[in-house]
Amino acid sequence: MRAGAWLVLGGAVAGFLGVLGLHRPASSSALAGGTVTQGPGTQGPGTQGPGTQGPGTQGPGPTASPGRTTTAAGPPGTVTGPVVNYGYGELATRVAISGSRITGVSVPVIRVAEQFSQELADRAIPVLRHEVLAAQSAHIQAVSGATYTSEAYAQSVQAALDKAHFK
Amino acid sequence: MSAPSAAFGTPKAPAGRDRKQQPDRLPAPEPHPALARIALLAAGLGLGSTTALTVTAEPASQLSAPGGLATFAGSLTGMTGTYLALIMVLLVSRIPAIERVAGQDGLVRLHRALAPWPISLLAAHALFLTVGYAQAARTGLWHEAGTLVNYPDVLIATVALGIMCFIGVISLRAIRRRLPRDTWWLIHLWMYLALALAVPHELVLGPSFVGHPLTRLVWSVLWAATAGLVLGYRIGLPILRTVRHQLRVVEVRSEGPGVVSVILAGRQLDRLPVSGGQFLYWRFLTLGRWWQAHPFSLSALPQPPYLRLTVKGVGTFTRSLTGLRPGTRVAVEGPYGAFTRYQQRRRRAVLVAGGIGVTALRSLLEDLPRGSAPVVLLRASRPEDLVLGAEVRELVRQRRGTIHELVGPRAAAVLDEVSLRRLVPDLNYRDVYVCGPEGFVAAIVALARDLGVPDDAIHHEAFAL
Repeated sequence: MRAGAWLVLGGAVAGFLGVLGLHRPASSSALAGGTVTQGPGTQGPGTQGPGTQGPGTQGPGPTASPGRTTTAAGPPGTVTGPVVNYGYGELATRVAISGSRITGVSVPVIRVAEQFSQELADRAIPVLRHEVLAAQSAHIQAVSGATYTSEAYAQSVQAALDKAHFK
Repeated sequence: MSAPSAAFGTPKAPAGRDRKQQPDRLPAPEPHPALARIALLAAGLGLGSTTALTVTAEPASQLSAPGGLATFAGSLTGMTGTYLALIMVLLVSRIPAIERVAGQDGLVRLHRALAPWPISLLAAHALFLTVGYAQAARTGLWHEAGTLVNYPDVLIATVALGIMCFIGVISLRAIRRRLPRDTWWLIHLWMYLALALAVPHELVLGPSFVGHPLTRLVWSVLWAATAGLVLGYRIGLPILRTVRHQLRVVEVRSEGPGVVSVILAGRQLDRLPVSGGQFLYWRFLTLGRWWQAHPFSLSALPQPPYLRLTVKGVGTFTRSLTGLRPGTRVAVEGPYGAFTRYQQRRRRAVLVAGGIGVTALRSLLEDLPRGSAPVVLLRASRPEDLVLGAEVRELVRQRRGTIHELVGPRAAAVLDEVSLRRLVPDLNYRDVYVCGPEGFVAAIVALARDLGVPDDAIHHEAFAL
């Protein structure tokens, strides 16, 4: 009986460490720390992140799909980010830049697995757009309940800004 | 033509030491204790991996966000709770290789001891996630709960949780005692439905699964395999054996006050892999009885084409067995139980039976080889309660053993340290097999331990009366 308990415990420790060891740490999050809560009254100034990247995450995180890093070019003055897969769906952003200002962000590509994720994305995307415009960067906070969508959004915007050599 | 019961009355001479089995029967497969150890290790590995997968799926930044801690706790309790629920199902899935090593009573005891954990963890999971999401959205708990049930598959998972908690409550000892066994068992079966309703939402929404096709695949395969084991071993195999053996009652014979032997005839009984001391679930297919299966020990090894079980009438069901008509069809599940000669660690054994426990002792004894010199202790309150006595005496004689019959009120025929030492002077060189009512078994096990018999040399099977 006691030997059995040790076997289970040993197995548990081995399994835990084994999975941790095998796990490939994901690239650091594209998001600033903290979360923005959706709803009235939360939009506006003060949503700017501290400008530092969030701590490294070990989550699935968004991953840009190789081979599909560009979508159809947008109108002049815009630059399109890669399609980023975030598990529950995938999206790409298109950033409009005028001079040294970000003047607009749109989402030309969004595909989600099911209805619920669509609703989440519909609610999160306007908030995220507002955050980017306010921050004038991709250093934004996640929308609560839509962390993965937010990460993908920020990553795509950052890639678009990099492409435009925006700083 | 002699009555079928005559096939059991004069036991055949035992197989010699070299011929381990009687030649005309398929032996029960030998248990492999290593399999149980591998299963324990695998269970541990699974638990550790599940925990690690939960941790790695959570972005560290999430923890510092509002509600992040509660959300993480929700994921962790959800994943470990579901994993333990899977283990609970496996414990009672009747996998023969595991049953032979651990015995069904051991597995069921473990299931009963661990079951509060998955239910509590899953209840905590729902609570933590509601709190976490409410904190993140800065809304109230009730408002957030109303939002959450709109997530895909969450509403049915909530129903599932309700069923699980209900089953948990009726399984509390104080409440379960007051319920008829069949009522409790039927309600308890809903757990399978609850699990089927609960699993989808985690695959669709769980951060450990979304975007992790491999984890999702492994988890789905695990659950499908478990369902397959349950269907195969709890339903498929019993149906196969019932159809193969075509058992029918051929004789019901009184053995003593309130004790009857039921003799069944069937086909291909040489292919039923059973050891002495094992039991089966019997389902007598008559109008009033077909829906209940009861565990009874074989009171003798099969003598193809006959099987025999011996039952003491203590409840309405067992008392009604005297009224069984010859020709009644019988469905079986089993054999189960680890109360067999395979458990023996030392060269010699002492077999102790209290009351009707003599049935399992009788068939176990038959499995012991010639010259094994067993010591047999039979305990009964009255001489007429000493059923199957003549058969046991004959079996002991054939094996050059010793038998002591302790008959009388407990005070007169006492079984304590002194008398046990006197009756079995070489107790510490023998395995102790005990069979009988729960109280009797507990007392003898405690006595053997006190006298220095190590746990792995004590084997018991308690009859719940």
